[in-house]
Parts: sequence; C-alpha cells; structure tokens
Amino acid sequence: MRKLTLVSFLVLAGAGAATLLTEPDMASDVPVIYWSTDPNPARIKQVDQFHEWLVENGHTTMDGRPNVELRLETVAADRKGIIQGVSGVAADIMDCNIPWYQSIGILADVTEAAERDGFGTDSTYDALEPLLTVDGRQYGFPCNVYVMGLWVNVDTFTKLGMEPPPTHWDWDTFERIGKEFVQRANPAGQRQTVFFVNRIEHAFFVRAMHRSLGVSDFNETMTASGLDHAGFAETLARIRKWTFEDHIAASKAEETAFSAESGYSGAGLTLLNKGNYGTYTIGRWVLIRLRQFEDPPRVSASHFPHGGFPNTLIAARTAAVYAGSPHLVEAKLFLAYLASEVYNIGIVESADAMPPIPKFTRTEGYLRPAEYPNEWGAHEVPAQGAGSIAITLSTSPFVPSATVDRYKKRALEQVMAGLATPEQVAAEAASRIDAEIQLTLVDSPTLRRRYAGAVALQEKIDSYRQMGRPIPMEWIKNPFHRVYYGSKGWIKNDPDGRGA
Amino acid sequence: MNRRNVRDVSVGLSFLAPNILGFLVFTLGPLLFSMYLAFTNWDLRLHNMFKEEPLRFVQLENFSRMLDDPDFWQYLGNTLFLMMSIPFAIAGSLVAAILLSQDTDGGSGWVRRRLIASAGLVFGVSCLVLAGAGVSAVTILIVGLAGAILLGGTTGGTTVYRTLFFLPHFTSGVATFILWKKLYNPSTGPITTALQPLLDLTGGVVTYVPAQLVRSCSWLCILLMVGGFYLGVRRLFLYWRDGEMGGFTVLLGLVFMTLPAACSTAWANPQSASGLVLAGAAVSLLLFGGRAVKGRGYPCRADEGLGDGIVFSATLMVVGFGLLGLGNVLYDLPVKAAAGLETPEWLTQYNWAKPSLMFMGLWAGIGSNNMLLYLAGLSNVPGELYEAAEIDGTSAFQRFWHVTWPQLAPVTFFIVVMSTIGGLQGGFEMARVMTEGGPAGSTTTLSYYVYTEGFTTGRLGYAAGVAWAMFALVFAVTLFNWKFGSRQIND
Repeated sequence: MRKLTLVSFLVLAGAGAATLLTEPDMASDVPVIYWSTDPNPARIKQVDQFHEWLVENGHTTMDGRPNVELRLETVAADRKGIIQGVSGVAADIMDCNIPWYQSIGILADVTEAAERDGFGTDSTYDALEPLLTVDGRQYGFPCNVYVMGLWVNVDTFTKLGMEPPPTHWDWDTFERIGKEFVQRANPAGQRQTVFFVNRIEHAFFVRAMHRSLGVSDFNETMTASGLDHAGFAETLARIRKWTFEDHIAASKAEETAFSAESGYSGAGLTLLNKGNYGTYTIGRWVLIRLRQFEDPPRVSASHFPHGGFPNTLIAARTAAVYAGSPHLVEAKLFLAYLASEVYNIGIVESADAMPPIPKFTRTEGYLRPAEYPNEWGAHEVPAQGAGSIAITLSTSPFVPSATVDRYKKRALEQVMAGLATPEQVAAEAASRIDAEIQLTLVDSPTLRRRYAGAVALQEKIDSYRQMGRPIPMEWIKNPFHRVYYGSKGWIKNDPDGRGA
Repeated sequence: MNRRNVRDVSVGLSFLAPNILGFLVFTLGPLLFSMYLAFTNWDLRLHNMFKEEPLRFVQLENFSRMLDDPDFWQYLGNTLFLMMSIPFAIAGSLVAAILLSQDTDGGSGWVRRRLIASAGLVFGVSCLVLAGAGVSAVTILIVGLAGAILLGGTTGGTTVYRTLFFLPHFTSGVATFILWKKLYNPSTGPITTALQPLLDLTGGVVTYVPAQLVRSCSWLCILLMVGGFYLGVRRLFLYWRDGEMGGFTVLLGLVFMTLPAACSTAWANPQSASGLVLAGAAVSLLLFGGRAVKGRGYPCRADEGLGDGIVFSATLMVVGFGLLGLGNVLYDLPVKAAAGLETPEWLTQYNWAKPSLMFMGLWAGIGSNNMLLYLAGLSNVPGELYEAAEIDGTSAFQRFWHVTWPQLAPVTFFIVVMSTIGGLQGGFEMARVMTEGGPAGSTTTLSYYVYTEGFTTGRLGYAAGVAWAMFALVFAVTLFNWKFGSRQIND
C-alpha cells in the first residue's frame, strides 16, 4: 500500500513537473503577451500580421525574429477580465469598456506612447474620444469602430415593389414604411412571419431613440439619471406600439419562435437574408455573415429613426493595456499596430466593422469592394454617420454602465409586458440609477469629492439654462449634451456647432 | 502515547492531510472570507490592488440594505415561487419509484401486451397519416418514442425504465436547459405544436356550448374551493380534538388555508365569487370554532404536529390557489375561445416564465436522486407488513397509506430537507441559460442575484450579504424540519 502511494505520488509529481516545463511562456525566448478578445477566426490572422509588423518596424531580436510573441485568449474579457484584473492575473491586452475598466483602476495609461507611436485620439474618430480617455488621459485604442444602424435587405423590398428605406428618417416615416412593408409581405389571415425590423431591444436602438428626443441616460455632469423624462417614456411607448399594435417589429416571443438566438450573431442574419426581416439592427460586421451566404442580397443601410434630433451611436471594440502587465512596453506596441495601415486595410477587407483610422473609410476598397457590388452604397452610411451624427456612450464614473443598461432593459421589459406605464418605469429607472450613484458615493471619499464638484457645476448649468445663457463647453461632461446643445446653439466655445 | 501510537497517528494524519488541507484552503477559508466580506463595503471598483479607497467595516449595513431592497424581495419571492414545485416533484418521484419497483418482467404476458400496445400505436398513427388526418411530426415522434420505450421494456425490463427515468439527472444541466428552450419555442416547439390542436379543439367545443354553461364550471371550482376549505378545517379540528395538533399549529394552518380566500377578493373573476368563498370560509370557521370552544379531551403542546400541520395546510393552500386560477380561466374561456385560444409564449411572457421553469424543474425532479432514494426505501419495506395488511383485507391504497407511506417517512424527510436546501440555492443555471433572469426580473432567483451583484455591479460585500441571508434561510428551514418534521419519523 505504501509503495502504491509512493508510486502514485511520484507519478503525479512527474506529471506536474512536465506540465510546468511545457508551459507556453517557458517555451518562448521572447516576452509573451496575451490578448483577451472575442473568438473571431480573423484574430489568428491579425496575430500573424502583428508579428510581421514587428519585424517590418524593427522590433526584432538579434536574429531578426519578432521581439515579442502575441497569443490569444479567446474568451471575451467582460466580467472575467475584471475578476482577473483585480486579482493581478489579467491578459496583457484586453478588449474592454475603457471608462468602466479604468474606473476600477486596472488599465495602464498609454498617453505618452500614443503620442510617440501615432495612435493618439486625434488619429481616430473625434466622437470616440470619451470612450478612449478618462480625465484627459488615453487608455486604449480601437480595434474596430462601429456605428450601429439598420441594415436593409434591398431585394426583399424590391420583391414587394417598395423602395428601400432612406438613410435618415423620422419615427413617423419609419412607422409608415414599416406598416406598408408588413402588410405587403404577410398574407392576410396567416401567422405573421415577416417583420420590418427585428426586436427593438438593442440598447443602442433604444438610446438613439430617446436621445433623438433630447434625453440622455445622465444629466450634463453625469451626476444623476436623465431618464425620468417624458422623452424616455415616449420612446418606450413607441416601441410597444411598433411591436404589439403595428407589428412592424418582432416581439421577443416572435423572435424566439424564429430560434434567433443560435450561432454567431444569431439566426437573425439568416432571417434577414431570407427576407423574414426587412431590416436588422447591427453594425457593418453584418457583412461578414452575409458574404458567407451563397447568393448574398443587395444591401443598404439606414440610421435609426429619430424623433426630432437625428443621431446614432458610435462605439468601438477597444483594446487596452492591463496595468498589472509585466510587459507594458510590448503591450503598447500592439496598440501602435492597431493604427497601422496593414491592420486597417485588413479590417476594411474583412468588413469587421470600420477601421480605427477614418481615412481608410474613404478608400475604394472600403466604399466599393470589387468582389461585392451588392454592397456598394451601403458602406458610406456608417462612415459618414461617424463623422456627422454619431455620439458615443455616456458613461458616468459614479455608476457602472452595466447597471444602467440593466435598469433600462427592465423598464422596457415591464412596458412590453404591460406591467406598468412608460411614465412609471421611466421614473423608477431614474430613481434606481440615482440610488446606485448614492450607494457608490457612500463607499468612496474620492468619488464623493469629485461628485460634489460636479454637482456644483450642474447647479450652474441649470441656472444658465433657466436664464437662457449659453453654457461653456468644458462644463459639460456628457458627450450627448455636448453635441445636442451644440446643435441647439446652447454652447459657448463650440466652433463647429455640434460640440465635437 | 507510546512511539508506535504516535507513528500510527502520524501516518493516519498524513493520509488525511491532503483532504483536510483542501477543505481548509478551498472551503473553510473562502467561507470565512465571504462572511468577512458580508460585513464590509467591498466593491470591486473601489477596493482592489490598484485602488487605495479605504475598506470599511459596515457592521449590519448590507443586511439592513437588503430589507429596503425591492429587488431582493422580488427575487426571494421568485425563489419561493419556484420552490412550490418541490412537493409535486417529490410526489412524482414517489410515484415513479413505486412504478419502477414493480416487477415488469412478468413473463410472456407482459411482453405480449407491450408488443401489442406498440404495434397498436404505430398502426394507429399510420392510419391517421394515411387518412390525411394532419398528424403533426411531433405527434408521430411522441407516439413513436412511446412505442420504442414499450418495446425496449420488453427486452431490458425495469432497468430500461429506470435508466430512462434517471436520464434527466445525469444529463448536463445546460444541455437540458437548451433542449427545454427549444421545447418551449412559442411557434415551432413541440409543446406548443402538441397543445395548439388541443386548444383549437377546446376552443371549437367551447364556442358551441352556451357561455353560461362554461361559466358555471367556474362556479364549480369556487364551490370545490369552499368544500376543500371546509374539509380542511374539519380535519384540523379533528387533529386538534384528538390531541395530534396543538392550538398554534391549527392557527398557523388556518392562516395558510385562508390565504386563497383572502386573495380571491382581488383575483376572483367574477368578483361576486369572492363573496361566496369568504362566506364559505366564515361559516366553516364559525362552525368548528363553536365546537372548539367546548374544549377537547386530549390536550397537547401548542406546537404539536407543526410539521404535519404545515404540510397539510400548505397543500390545501396550493390546491385552493389552483382552483381559484382554474375558475378564472373557465370564466374567461367563452370570450377567449371566440377570439381563438393560443398557447402561451412560455419563457417570454411575464406570467408564464416562472410556471414554465417550474414545469421543467418538475420534470427534472421526478427522475432525480429522490427517485433512487425512494427505490432504495421501498426495497427496505418488510414484505411481512404487506402480507399482514393483505390478510386484513386492505385495498391497494390502504396498503400504501398505512404501510408504505409511514415506512418511507425517514426517506421523505431527508428528501424534503435536501430539496428545500436545493430549491433555496437553485435557479442560477436555469435563469442564466434560459431567460437571463427576465422578463422584467420574473425568473431571477437569489442565487442569480448574488452573481449579478457580485460580478456585474461589483459589490462583493453586498453579494456576500445576500449569500449569507440565503444561508440563514436554508439553515432556518432545515432547523425547522429537524425540529418539527422528524417527530413522526422517530415515533
């Protein structure tokens, strides 16, 4: 028995040692950095490309090999990234929500490296600055950029004898075209199987709608929720109407009936291709899937319908460097690679949303890809939107974005289930978010000081608004209000009139 | 202790050491740490290796916040609601165990009967298909499966059936949740497609029947509710009179049983039905209250029979609510049938999401470890007891009620305790995979709430507080079960 135990122990010890010796890090003679990202097959090519880029730019060992090795950790960072980050074991580079991750303190400041290596905020879209910086310091760079909107299967409209929707439209136009579409597409007396748009629940769609009525998630200084507003209630009521009265948008049950939750981007894109959806809420990466179909349809793109103030959401899959990384210098090199021509052209060709550097959206390869004439005319829409009506997310340092989204989702679900009126849920969502802010402040003296300053500023903004005086741009922290007030002429020091 | 003893103890400890160390590091350590967390304001955003915000000892703040937190109460309510399927799952396990403990290898007669049944099923469906009766693929699938099971039973006997019943337990949870998601598909799911023809048929029949006749069935439910309440009060009174239940037990039981009547004031359809329910309840209470005033012959402690009393009255309460709901459905049926009866949207409809999950839990619960425990328990019931009962001329039900059920009491007690603990802790995977806690938080359980608070919001202190509140609940219920549920077993 003792011998058996001893042998078992020795076997286990040997196996442990073998595992340790064959660890990837130990098998490399150059620093190994990890990139925590989504499991997209394109990442493998991008990793190889990064190694080539290193060589081309002189980041090599004595024998001419890349002086750093990049490996993938293809599980989206999300919550896991935070847990790993605060525990000191996160990947060196993480795809993440920069303002949120930085509020936890786990990201490295890359401002100096960005200026030196050409990946500063001025090299990408202006509207993205609030997404990449915190208190004027840069913490990351976009891997790709997306302007969400409605992608249209033009063939479906043609088949029904209709023109594809316009690029810009208001709620009433959206409703009118939508009603006509579903009426033509669905035979009377049968179960509805064709919808003008997939389920309206995407946070970006909802946000663009209430923003178009002048309502943001937060006030100007991000110190309180802005959702207790008739505009938010009106948005929720309109979504309910489009879903259950006009039947132009699929309900959750109808979407589930399509089994739309399986596969990459769901079966929704198959349904768009088949004509069950006339339009679909998504970014330019829709084309990755559509190109895989045997006979991809002609496509166009439209911005979200607006209730008065045209706007859309711009966001990015941003890469940031982990503050606890033992290879900070090497990890920052990766961000420089994201700003390189070779990387941007790769994004253009793969249609993985838009390239981080705007000038590549003006190339022939982006606008009119030779292999895909069915897409011509669609690519301009997100690119032009990014430079005109796009506003990024409003992220408060006092409450996590995920919490805000949770309360907004709940509000929409309550309205859709008929559990409460839009006004009631709007008021409840706002009060819950405000309560969350107060809860955060109780625990953080640093944030309390910051909050007190912001509240004082908010009082000044409110008094200026009451008096009808223009507000200095630097007082406003909410990117939405900068643009919205700019468009109304309520801003001082706003040269281009859109607050950008 | 001599040298040899020291050596023996050392050897023994060295064998135990890995396990003890593992327990200390991976169980006791985190347990104590989470208790510490529950009394702090630990927030991932503010307290981590990159931040210097001071960690505060908040005493009972997390727990007092819980009392004011509407989400906590809603999710506790959801958890308790989902637990209402536990008694049914236990009953299902018992029935399954009894069926599976029967001798199904009863010779050629059994085999012949199964073969005939299978052939009959296949023949029947074939005829329907040939006749163009519009039999759906799902119906054919179900009937085909039933035939295959029957045929399988002819060769494998009880083992095949036991394996099939136990299948849900050893199948991965996530896999079964995804499967059930497909089953619940509101358009193409087998449940919907199987139910819809029945609903169409029902709707068709109901439209031909006078509306008043259908609605009178609703009144029948109300009468049954009143009758059930009367019988329940009578039974409690008899228990009390005979000294099997104390005054406190009876009062608590009456509270449980009165709940459906009280809720009928808000929920009954038509509202006048509520008057009948309340009147019936009042008459029953007055009738037996008057008899109780005269006193009883066998006094006992106030909490005597508390466990049995709660089980009895809670069962009647569930039945009462069921009848109330059924009455409402029947009352509205003529109007709804005229518009066409539709299957619910199961997981996506606020009022149906929880019952849908409960039903799935019931399916999983019947063929679980509980069934195995009952099978083991049944095999330990002495055969002489059945023989004696048979000699006394008892019926099958009487044998079950007076022999099997009391003999299985220890097993039932263990199952109830474990199921209650599992129920209070459960619901996370289900909510995560099937509904993400929605719609509007209707399927979020406490365990899911711990996860979202801890890892989405980052408030580890509060999440730990909720987790310990859950533990307190589990502990209280278990303690209650031990104190009041085990008496009958020990007797």
